[in-house]
Amino acid sequence: MQHEITTNSMISVRGMSKLFGKFVALDRVDFDISRGEKIVVLGPSGSGKSTLIRTLNQIEPHDSGTLIIDGKLINAKTDPIQLRCMVGMVFQNYNLFPHLSVLENCILAPMRVRRMTRMEATALARRYLEQVGIPDQADKYPIQLSGGQQQRVAIARALCMQPEVMLFDEPTAALDPEAIVGVVGIMDELAEQGITTVCVTHEMAFSRRIADRIVFMDQGKIVEITPPETFFTAPQSERAQNFLNQMLRY
Amino acid sequence: MTSFFSHLRLPRRLRPVAALAVAFTAAVLPASARAEQIPSFVQDGTLTICTNPTLPPMTFVKGQDVTHPEGFDIDVAQALATRWHARLSVITMDFTGLFPSLSAQRCGLVMSGIIRTPAREKSFDAVSYQDTALVVVGRKATPTLSSMDELSGKDVAVESGTSYVTRLGVVNDALIAAGKPPMIIQQYPTEEQVVQQVLIGRVFAFVSQDVELFYRMRQLRDKLHVLITPDIPDYRHFAIYIRQNPEDRTLLQNAISALDGDGTLQTFRTKWSVTDQSTKGGAAEAGTGGMFDWGAFFSALTSMAFLHGAFITLSAALISHGIAIIISVPIAIVLNSPQKSLLKVTLEGYVSLFRAAPTLLQLLFIWNAVPQFFPIFREQWFTPFLATILALSINESAYQVEINRAALSAVDLGQELGASALGLSRRDIYWRVIFPQAFRIALPPTINEFINLLKITSLASVISLQELLAVTQIQVARTFAFTEYYAAALIYYLVMVFFFLFLQKRVERRFSWSDRKKVVSNAA
Repeated sequence: MQHEITTNSMISVRGMSKLFGKFVALDRVDFDISRGEKIVVLGPSGSGKSTLIRTLNQIEPHDSGTLIIDGKLINAKTDPIQLRCMVGMVFQNYNLFPHLSVLENCILAPMRVRRMTRMEATALARRYLEQVGIPDQADKYPIQLSGGQQQRVAIARALCMQPEVMLFDEPTAALDPEAIVGVVGIMDELAEQGITTVCVTHEMAFSRRIADRIVFMDQGKIVEITPPETFFTAPQSERAQNFLNQMLRY
Repeated sequence: MTSFFSHLRLPRRLRPVAALAVAFTAAVLPASARAEQIPSFVQDGTLTICTNPTLPPMTFVKGQDVTHPEGFDIDVAQALATRWHARLSVITMDFTGLFPSLSAQRCGLVMSGIIRTPAREKSFDAVSYQDTALVVVGRKATPTLSSMDELSGKDVAVESGTSYVTRLGVVNDALIAAGKPPMIIQQYPTEEQVVQQVLIGRVFAFVSQDVELFYRMRQLRDKLHVLITPDIPDYRHFAIYIRQNPEDRTLLQNAISALDGDGTLQTFRTKWSVTDQSTKGGAAEAGTGGMFDWGAFFSALTSMAFLHGAFITLSAALISHGIAIIISVPIAIVLNSPQKSLLKVTLEGYVSLFRAAPTLLQLLFIWNAVPQFFPIFREQWFTPFLATILALSINESAYQVEINRAALSAVDLGQELGASALGLSRRDIYWRVIFPQAFRIALPPTINEFINLLKITSLASVISLQELLAVTQIQVARTFAFTEYYAAALIYYLVMVFFFLFLQKRVERRFSWSDRKKVVSNAA
């Protein structure tokens, strides 16, 4: 395992498990993600996709196994704040702070955690709001924005911490088709910038377009890890074939 | 007297002779000529008395300063204090609080125009200082009665906690035994309310003391008269009550005898017209007419007494609620956490207990019961104000916990998740993300609770806090201007409550982020 650390792995997971009471949410999961790699996690509901990416920034700490991110062993003793500065996350429900304006949402963590001045943080936030295409919404409150706009703010807010890894937990699941196009476009751009990305999604076209590899999960286990061409044309496991058949039917 | 003689160091044989000599001297010489032993209830050079200053002319507030009652009782108490080289300290409170306070050693003696009865003497020692008689009083037009039996079936008002209540019970028992309907007894917490029931015609008669009646009759310009003066042997003396102690009782008895002997008591009787039955003369106040007296209303509204009362009410409510909020936030966080723990069970017990117990009971408990177990709570520093703050902040925190719990639960779980994913510390998650949102939800019910608390402070009059309503009642007892003084008190409460409602509106305007329509209209 030692040699794994010295390789170019950004994230390295070995035998990682997570229990919720007696329910096994993650069952001895192993995988590696290289620096700059784009991973899409697919699988049916309850297969452990969300749990998997939540353990990567430890908002759900794992129960056993090893997790190494950027060469550092992550466990219960690690300072989660340092980890979360490095690993950004975007949620299905945006989780924007409703009492803060768009700009204030973006500068809160850079100021409180990274100890930036308000000027520095504001300049940074305006740059990322520009990048996600909503520079003119900075002074509005989240409630005034559409779902697609809110998710763009959430992405900008995560980027303001200048993470090395971005986690997306079904970022388009709550959006209408038009908004999905916009958000997927931004994620495409991010992918091109070479940021390491782990994304849980049901957007098949998006997965096929940007993923370097697909991680397919079922019942808390990783069933297969394959490049998208292989996964979508000739999935190795029967479980993945069934999943794809069902997805394509709709 | 035994301890007195033990100081003389005489041969045992001579002691009876000495006792005789001292007794003789005491009878002949004026009191001031002797070195007098001081009773144990005079502590640190202070004689503390408890009184309910709503019974003129015995004990009442004559001027605007409610902390300084006057009257026959107060003058007698001052004379006693002077004899014992002590400073007089007067604590005022509801009548029902007097004896519990004596038990709790808040005062050395109780003087409040109280009748000497065998029932009270089972628990306390009593020394008579003034003759009196029980009277049944009605309006001028009501014909006099020839026997108490004629009250059968009639409404009779009486001050609660007084011995008259028990006495009327005896009359009722006799009426029922004779197959007649009993009197319907209405009890009121203050004497002036008892009188008012007769004046407004709600009851047929009230029961009181002749001494007080003389005063009231002058004040009310012959609107009342005595219907009957029943001959009840048990009800002939006003007494000073002390905690049971034979030595103290003797010392007090001697002091009263001396004051009677040197004419002091008679001087006071004349001063306060205690035995003067004429209805003309001296210190009478103007009676209430039928019309609203705007002058009395405005003088009450602008009086220092009301302003001070309102200040006490407001500060008691503000401080109690402030403490309650500080206590309740951590409790709410612990109670909202999913884990079971001993701390959580304990806090659940705390919240349940203080939500269940009546506020009035908590006040009485802290003031009267707790000092019996923890003597530190009967010391001077533990004022009625502090006791009120203690009781109300504990009580209020229990309600506030529930408001906080609801507000914290109403903040979406995703907020904590989103904040921690950004690397914010626990402290920042609470202070920057969760509390600001919970505050908006908690604000309206919290202001509601505060307004409630502002009004609940009036309960603290039972532990002698001079808050707005206590001040009002004492002033009413003096002037009988019910409508005017109640109206003035109402104005004070309304102004205070409206101010906080206004404040709530102003603060809520800052929460425009929660309402899409408002945000849009503000932007436009």
